[in-house]
Amino acid sequence: MPEVQADSEGAVSTLNLKQSCGQLMTDLLQALGSGILVGLVYSLLGLCIVIVYKASEAFNFAVGEFMVTGSFLFYIFFFDLQFPFLIALPLGLAAAAAAGAVIETLTIRPLIGRSPIAMTIITLGLAFFIRACLQLIFGSHSYSFFLELPDISIDAGELLFLSDPLWAGIMALLTFFIVMFFLFRTKWGLAIRATSENQAKAMAFGINAKMILLVVWAASSACIAVAGIMISNFGALSTMSSIVGLRAIPVVLIGGMDSIGGALAGGIIVGICESLVGTYIEPLGFTGFKEVAPYILLLIVVLIRPYGLFGTVRIERV
Amino acid sequence: MNRKLLVGLSLILSIAFLALTPVSAKDIKVLSQFPMSGPVGALPEFGWGYIDGMNWVNGEGGGVNGKKITWFLEDFRYDPTVEVANFNKYCAELSRDEFILATGYITGGLKPLADKVNKEEKIPWLDGSYSTEIFGAEGGPSKYPYYYSLGATYGDQLKILMKWIKDNHKAKGKPKVGMVYSPTAWGKDGLPESLAYARKIGLEVVAQIEYPYSATDATNECMQLRKAKAQYVIYHGYSGASGCTAIFFKTAKKVIKNVQLMGTHYTTNRMSILVCQEAYDGYIGVATRPFLDAVPRAKTSMENPIVKLAHEFARKYRPEEYKRGVKDKDSIKDMFLYLEGLTYAFMIQKVLTDADNSGNLSREGVKKALDNLVWDYKGMFGGKKFSYKSHTIPMMQIFKADVKMVKMGETMVPTGAVNPITDWINSDEIKW
Repeated sequence: MPEVQADSEGAVSTLNLKQSCGQLMTDLLQALGSGILVGLVYSLLGLCIVIVYKASEAFNFAVGEFMVTGSFLFYIFFFDLQFPFLIALPLGLAAAAAAGAVIETLTIRPLIGRSPIAMTIITLGLAFFIRACLQLIFGSHSYSFFLELPDISIDAGELLFLSDPLWAGIMALLTFFIVMFFLFRTKWGLAIRATSENQAKAMAFGINAKMILLVVWAASSACIAVAGIMISNFGALSTMSSIVGLRAIPVVLIGGMDSIGGALAGGIIVGICESLVGTYIEPLGFTGFKEVAPYILLLIVVLIRPYGLFGTVRIERV
Repeated sequence: MNRKLLVGLSLILSIAFLALTPVSAKDIKVLSQFPMSGPVGALPEFGWGYIDGMNWVNGEGGGVNGKKITWFLEDFRYDPTVEVANFNKYCAELSRDEFILATGYITGGLKPLADKVNKEEKIPWLDGSYSTEIFGAEGGPSKYPYYYSLGATYGDQLKILMKWIKDNHKAKGKPKVGMVYSPTAWGKDGLPESLAYARKIGLEVVAQIEYPYSATDATNECMQLRKAKAQYVIYHGYSGASGCTAIFFKTAKKVIKNVQLMGTHYTTNRMSILVCQEAYDGYIGVATRPFLDAVPRAKTSMENPIVKLAHEFARKYRPEEYKRGVKDKDSIKDMFLYLEGLTYAFMIQKVLTDADNSGNLSREGVKKALDNLVWDYKGMFGGKKFSYKSHTIPMMQIFKADVKMVKMGETMVPTGAVNPITDWINSDEIKW
């Protein structure tokens, strides 16, 4: 009789152990999946910084404000003018690209040939200026932003991936590959890559560097708008949403300032880092740690690899 | 003879004039500060309500027994530093005899001004803060004798929601409650005492989650609540106008479908309907004012006299802003905000008149008037009266959101309102 009892106790504890392991695995999958989905959107933001950096060596600190601008432009076409989604989206992205081109013409182009630091500082000023303009036009309250996209939620018991983050991940990945195709499979892409390698040589070969810069800024603005629209679809759009742009900084610094693949990896790493910290560390009482974790990770990465995980190592002789 | 008579008459008139001058020339000066720009610059309705209210008080309202109030309105840009600096400036410039009442809006300004207001200046200060730290058991009249809040503390708001859960819980076992709060002084205000109260009345608090304003995703938070098997979620320390609220409600409606979402004052309003849309349907929240402003506005219930009055004021003094749509930043997006400003003006007139009637129109006289006040606030609380003995207006009501999406043109738009599901509750009458 005691043997039977011992056997049943053993079976129960084995079952409990299996259940605990199953739960742990589910939690981990949930955290990784959620992290990857939001990370893909961060990757897109990172990509937009990288392509501008490659073309001009300037860091676009106004990425968050470009994101909100693009989202509001789409908002006007879709919610205010009530165009169908498939028409409003390209119109919104085209308007965002046009806005990017205008901003480039007015603020970046006059600085061609000068130090990239000047352009970087200009983008800092642009961030404040664009935010103020947006607040003046749209106010600082939130706008409801619910897109009626087909529901593709994955609900498997304890494992749940909502439709909106899934759409955000899909759209971000799609846009990422379109940009890659543009850069590596078109003449314009070749010209951009040539300009990013050596502006003076590219100009000597007849490439219009000014036009290249214009195209890069316009394309970058359109891609940022995609990220903005997808993030806004999580609930609401407001000028405060520009704070998301700050997430792009650890993404590109971790991945490498001049690496497109690095932007993809960096975004996913930052997304997973946030999600894991939110799932495992914050519940232990470290509330708010999710917000700073990517920056701690950034410090660690930069200490080990100053040019990021996939950035080009530059040997500078002094 | 005529000359002597003339000199004598002049002398008498001069003496009479001098004797009367100090009384009739003494101004009644009041300083108010509202956020008209800065982080909540898109919601200038507070200030508009106050301006219209004070203009009415000095005009049709009859002033303070016929005397006009000299009122100053400062935009403190939602910055406590500015609020403190403005107050110091007015204290330096104005005479104590004339500057007899001040109003503020946020807890952040109350803390640095505590000694200045309560010990040095000893000036009655009406505030929009519902801070439990300032107005609850740890603070209150004994610690801050000149501070008065225009609403019930967040601690009381949270406790009344918990009491509602306890009274209305139908499922078996202890009610399981999840707390979601902002990582700010506001979000944490009232938590310790409400959690103690939850334990006392037999609620099980299964999760306490800090959810930041800058959040772009609430899946993690909602999954934690789902795992904790929360049946009720109290969302505290947020505005209905902020994006994170829409993100949380939208996600919660999918991840924790059967959970009752609840919240405190600033998420129980019209802005939440407009921003969160159908995700807000069924929400239960507590408020210290009658938040009756339906979408569309024409469907608003006008049974409450002060709600009716506020709409009449807005139609009369701000016709364009009243009519404009919510997307226009110069519109009255939520009447509660306008009503809030208006109620400051009514309170100022009431206590100054009471002080004047008692023959002591001074700082101490106004304080006595506030301490002795028993008032129905122009019918705001369904005819119920409150007293200021706790230095708060202890009245609360619980509302439930009823939101439906309807097709307008090519898009779906939200319609509905937050409707009262309880009578007005006086927290001073509850034995917590």
